[in-house]
Amino acid sequence: MRHYVTVGILVIVVTILTYAGLYSVDLLPVAASLQAGSINDVGSIDWLWNWELVVMCFLFSLIAVPMFYSFVVFRRRKGDTSDGEHMEGNTNLEIAWTVLPLILVFAFAYMGAYSLGDIRRMDLDAMSIKVRAQQFTWTFEYPEYGFFSNELHLPVDQQVVLKMTSTDVIHSFWVPEFRIKQDVVPGRITEYIVTPTLIGPYEVRCAELCGTSHYNMENAVIVESRANFDIWVAEQVAIAAAAAQTPEGQGQLLAVKNGCSGCHSVDGTRLTGPTWFGIYGADVELADGRTIVVDDAFIIESILDPKAKEVAGFSPTSMPTYATVLTEEEIANIIAYIKTLR
Amino acid sequence: MTHTHDKSSALRQGVLIFVYLTVLTILEYFVAVTFNATSILVVVAVIKAALVMYYYMHIYKLNEENEGDENSYAYKTGTNRLGLWFFLLSDAFVFAGLLVMRLNLLGFTRPPLNQTLGFAVTAVLLFSSFFMNRGETAMAHGDTKGFMNNVLITFVMGLGFLLGVVMVEWRIAAEEGLIASFGNPATGPMGAVFYMMTGMHAFHVLTGLIFLFVVWNNARKGVYSAEKHWGVEAAAVYWHFVDLVWIFFYPALYLIGTLVHLD
Amino acid sequence: MKKFLSSSLARGLVWQVIGTIVGIGLITGIRAAMGLPTTDSVFFFTEPAWVLGAFLGGLFFLSANGSVSDWFKWARGIDTPEHHEEHYKGWEKFVNVSLDHKVIGVQYTMLSLILICVGGLFALIFRTELAASELQFLTLDMKLFNQNGPQLFNTMMSLHGMLMIQGILLGVAGIINYVVPLLLGAQDMAFPRMNAFSFWLGVPGSIILLSSIVLGGFDTGWTGYPPLSARAPVGVQMFFLGVFFLGWSSILGGLNVVVTVVRVRARSMNAFRMPIFVWASVATSIITMTATQLIGLSFQLVMFQRLLGMGFFDPAKGGNPVLYQHLFWFYSHPAVYVFVLPGLGVISELLPVFARKPLFGYRWIAMSSLGIALVGFVVWAHHMFASGMNEYLRVPFMYSTLLVGVPTGVKFFSWVATIWKGKIDFHTPMLFVLGAIVVFLLGGITGPVLAAISVDLHLTDTYFIVGHFHDTIFGGFVFPFFAALYYWFPKATGRRMSETLGKIHFWIMTPSFLVLQFGMMRIGLLGMRRRIVDYDPAMGFDSTHLVLTIAGYLIGISVAIFLYNFFNSMKNGEKAEGNIWNSRSPEWQVPSPMPMHNYDQPFEVVGEPYDYGLPGSKYVEFAAATTPAKSKH
Ligand code: HEA
Ligand code: HEA
Ligand code: HEC
Ligand code: CUA
Ligand SMILES: [Cu+2]
Repeated sequence: MRHYVTVGILVIVVTILTYAGLYSVDLLPVAASLQAGSINDVGSIDWLWNWELVVMCFLFSLIAVPMFYSFVVFRRRKGDTSDGEHMEGNTNLEIAWTVLPLILVFAFAYMGAYSLGDIRRMDLDAMSIKVRAQQFTWTFEYPEYGFFSNELHLPVDQQVVLKMTSTDVIHSFWVPEFRIKQDVVPGRITEYIVTPTLIGPYEVRCAELCGTSHYNMENAVIVESRANFDIWVAEQVAIAAAAAQTPEGQGQLLAVKNGCSGCHSVDGTRLTGPTWFGIYGADVELADGRTIVVDDAFIIESILDPKAKEVAGFSPTSMPTYATVLTEEEIANIIAYIKTLR
Repeated sequence: MTHTHDKSSALRQGVLIFVYLTVLTILEYFVAVTFNATSILVVVAVIKAALVMYYYMHIYKLNEENEGDENSYAYKTGTNRLGLWFFLLSDAFVFAGLLVMRLNLLGFTRPPLNQTLGFAVTAVLLFSSFFMNRGETAMAHGDTKGFMNNVLITFVMGLGFLLGVVMVEWRIAAEEGLIASFGNPATGPMGAVFYMMTGMHAFHVLTGLIFLFVVWNNARKGVYSAEKHWGVEAAAVYWHFVDLVWIFFYPALYLIGTLVHLD
Repeated sequence: MKKFLSSSLARGLVWQVIGTIVGIGLITGIRAAMGLPTTDSVFFFTEPAWVLGAFLGGLFFLSANGSVSDWFKWARGIDTPEHHEEHYKGWEKFVNVSLDHKVIGVQYTMLSLILICVGGLFALIFRTELAASELQFLTLDMKLFNQNGPQLFNTMMSLHGMLMIQGILLGVAGIINYVVPLLLGAQDMAFPRMNAFSFWLGVPGSIILLSSIVLGGFDTGWTGYPPLSARAPVGVQMFFLGVFFLGWSSILGGLNVVVTVVRVRARSMNAFRMPIFVWASVATSIITMTATQLIGLSFQLVMFQRLLGMGFFDPAKGGNPVLYQHLFWFYSHPAVYVFVLPGLGVISELLPVFARKPLFGYRWIAMSSLGIALVGFVVWAHHMFASGMNEYLRVPFMYSTLLVGVPTGVKFFSWVATIWKGKIDFHTPMLFVLGAIVVFLLGGITGPVLAAISVDLHLTDTYFIVGHFHDTIFGGFVFPFFAALYYWFPKATGRRMSETLGKIHFWIMTPSFLVLQFGMMRIGLLGMRRRIVDYDPAMGFDSTHLVLTIAGYLIGISVAIFLYNFFNSMKNGEKAEGNIWNSRSPEWQVPSPMPMHNYDQPFEVVGEPYDYGLPGSKYVEFAAATTPAKSKH
């Protein structure tokens, strides 16, 4: 009896200690959405995780403590060659350790289903944004305002529904601070419901292996106040309207819409692809050691058949071909736009 | 021993089962062309499958006690039987997977196929199972000659089925546009599904034919006797299994769902 | 050397090369005749040529190495003797076709160790790259086998996964093959020829699988999801084909085990007097024998999609990429229980021997193996919670997944009860058993966390998953596998492995592994995605990753120590011919190494298998006279 009491106490103590230890380090990134919530928001992901942590600590102690206790307390003394006690089983015990976990399972499942229902709940006034994933960048379309962007801007405390699709392979939309992850599948539209609650810059990181530059498939996500969001939208709308007037302006819009700007910066920073800043007329070094001047022909070739000439230091398989997407005129517009970048 | 005590009653049973199967197949066809009730088709297919498994494939033999010690032929045959059935179970998972694929990709539509031909090859396969059963019964009674004749007929019919599907049906389907639809987004993967399912089945028919040839050839050499003919039994069970698969594939491809024309 | 060159293995390999050439030539010739392009700018030959080449290569291997020659004889009406006598001695036995289950068991184990070492080396290579953020040596400029750094990373990572998994399947087959007939008192498996064939399928299969890396690799992960795998280089076809061969090995092997257990048991060995490991083997084999077909089918469909343009999984052609995932996981989830059930069986088998106590709740443990296997068939979609599959499927799959915890829990509680008040002998095998329990427990309890959908939406495709499955796999397979090797090594060789080195192995591997696993889970929770060659330095994972890499190396070192111990002890180990573990199991009642035809006298079961501590009780009794063994019932 003494042994059982000691072990029982130890199990409780070890559970509390492990839980307290784990609780004291930040196991999850900051929670930036209603769905992520906190450990006190019943139904949120962090709430569910917290209970799971408790159960994990308990189950671990429940098994490990009596085991180690046995090693120490019942250890074989020197010179003892006897066998252990002959205990074949105990039906009551066996029933207990089948039924109790079963109850735990149902409790867990209930909580899981409850939480799922909670995070999938859609508000009536949810804002809808279209997301297009491609190797290896994201493009966001704001249908209410009619413009495209490679950055996802979201107003704080406003529920949004991302309607996502892919043009090539499967990708997965994930902002760790929002917690939820949803695959983006070609040929169908998947929905991602999120209500950002914390202003700040985040990254959407593609979480499904999608090819060579999967690791690099990251775009900015910016959660901002409603006022700032409105300013940004107005800006984008204005830019779009102004740009549509000129060929180079149209080129700029095309570059955003087709995801070019997801990989090619226009200010010299290095993304998945070479920057477009100041490249027109400049020399670039190819992977095979040659140097070539960037002119119309080279750009056209790069767009239609990106693998034909590889720029040194970049992955040639990153850029998809746009042969079937862009018309000649559109390419001309893009070239006109690239020319302006210097 | 088996339920059939003498040769004539065994043959009579074979005929009876054949008649049941024929009636059910015609019923199936009739249901499909008139009011197309998938649930009835499923029920009919399951009944047919049960008949084949019980009477042609003798699944009950798995339960037999094999007297004799571990190294006796009888005991080994029992072991082999179990092995063969597990193999068929395993193979059934492939075909089940293909059916799931078909239901998922095509739903309640079906490809434009030649109904007459479909019915014809199904009938041929059914007949071949009948003769296979007669052949096996003959062998079980030590009648090598009768066995060889029946297996020959089975073989010819099986070959007829194979050629009917691969040479005729595949060509007709191609003319209907099923191959062209491989690359056609509008029509869906109908062609791909059709060729994959019939192809996998045809592959099994082919292996079955090889198996039949092998046992025929061995019978010619006098390898089998009434007591020792596991090879014959295995070939027969395998052959009926191929028929069994077709019992499900035939309605799945030809009968259920609404017809879609490809252009 | 000459002996090697005339062995089945060498003959098979030569013919595999010839077959490959024939296949390539065939397709290239046909294409030339049809006026289609015959060469490829990068891989020299076209994809269909490579595929047929590899396939024929495998078939040629099998027909040339002698594992099917008896069947060809049967087909020609020629009877073959029941049991071949062995012509070979020493290592030659293992590179030639043998029908002896003990030899085949060792062959499987060796092949498994080879694959695990190669896979492990891949892991160490890509872990080195991951030790710090930014690209160090797998850079965009480097080029090997027509792949740049990130591509090579993807290939190595995917191959690491698949090689390890195949290594496990072969390892499982190895242990089962060696041990199960001995535990049953059988002379051999039910189908010795098929047993040999199953093993030899694995050799060309492994070669084809490995050849994927030189044919452009494949950047799909071991899961090979289309549309990505439909676009990957030719290497992915080799990956599919290799797995196809290995899959058949697994299917036929599993079938053999189930039939053996049903048909050839010692006298009076009824179901609940079988050693517990036999139960585990049956449960495992039920899975391999059936579900494996579905991974074959899913890979086959992608192969056809690539070769013939059939659009099964291509949305542009009306196909459904998610369907692939269903077919794939229908096998690949139950497969994880294939990895662990025998491992858990080893734990249950060895615990009573070293705790000197009966296995607590034997029957319920036996049933729990079947329970895990059967429930395991209906949980596959838990890998697809975020995949965009039908919404309404998620909750039922959560329930079924969580349910697996119940039979698994039964095992854990029974083990604890077995250990409780046990007089434990901490020999090396026991250390690994105890390590396995702790490690598998950690992996197991993270399972339900993933099963509860909404938390999985955060964790899926992160290093938390990577941590979860390394943990379950190490606890459920690697540790028990080592335990089994240490335990049955003397049975196979008549010598024992060094205890000191064994303990060093254990005490290096266990802490390093725990560090590896906790580190993985930690960064996974914080946002480290899996399958990435480089991570954002801003996330602050550099130091943890460095620790992970060091831990990985330490595991490698411990395995190297094991390998040294293993091969060295075969020759120089301390002689151990008797019942060195003081076990009740039948195979230990006869001298080691195991005699050629196992038991000279058949035995009869006269008691319970694990009645340790019950004086005078016995599990088996050897027939004094020569009454032939009656089987079954
Ligand atoms: C050996 C292999 C193995 C084993 C045994 C398991 C066991 C389990 N696994 Fe794991 N799993 C993998 C290997 C394994 N897994 C692999 C390889 C992957 C990733 C594949 C990939 O994507 O590459 C994966 C991924 C994976 C996922 C998908 C994650 C994702 O990608 O999003 C999920 C989700 O549900 C899951 C769940 C479980 C569960 C519930 C168990 C259960 O069987 C665990 C049961 C055990 C216990 C619960 C502990 C002991 C029980 C008790 C002490 C009793 C009381 C407990 C309760 C009542 C809860 N696993
Ligand atoms: C049996 C299963 C198994 C085992 C044992 C391991 C062992 C290891 N694994 Fe593996 N791992 C998987 C199965 C396994 N893994 C799977 C299925 C995946 C998923 C793949 C995917 O996503 O598609 C994966 C993925 C995976 C990743 C994630 C990759 C990614 O997502 O980007 C990482 C990262 O750290 C990793 C690390 C390791 C390490 C460091 C070890 C170490 O334990 C390795 C230790 C080293 C050895 C065991 C070899 C030692 C041998 C010698 C030194 C001997 C000398 C050599 C010869 C004689 C030839 N593994
Ligand atoms: C996912 C990444 C990605 C996207 C999207 C992408 N590119 Fe690229 N691009 C690259 C990479 C990587 C290279 C360099 C390697 C190469 O030459 O192929 C490149 C090279 C180029 C080059 C020539 C080389 C140079 O010196 O700049 C041009 C021009 C170009 N891209 C235009 C486009 C246009 C136009 C679009 C959109 C319509 C586009 N890219 C979309 C990744 C991308
Ligand atoms: Cu897109 Cu990974
Ligand atoms: Cu799983």
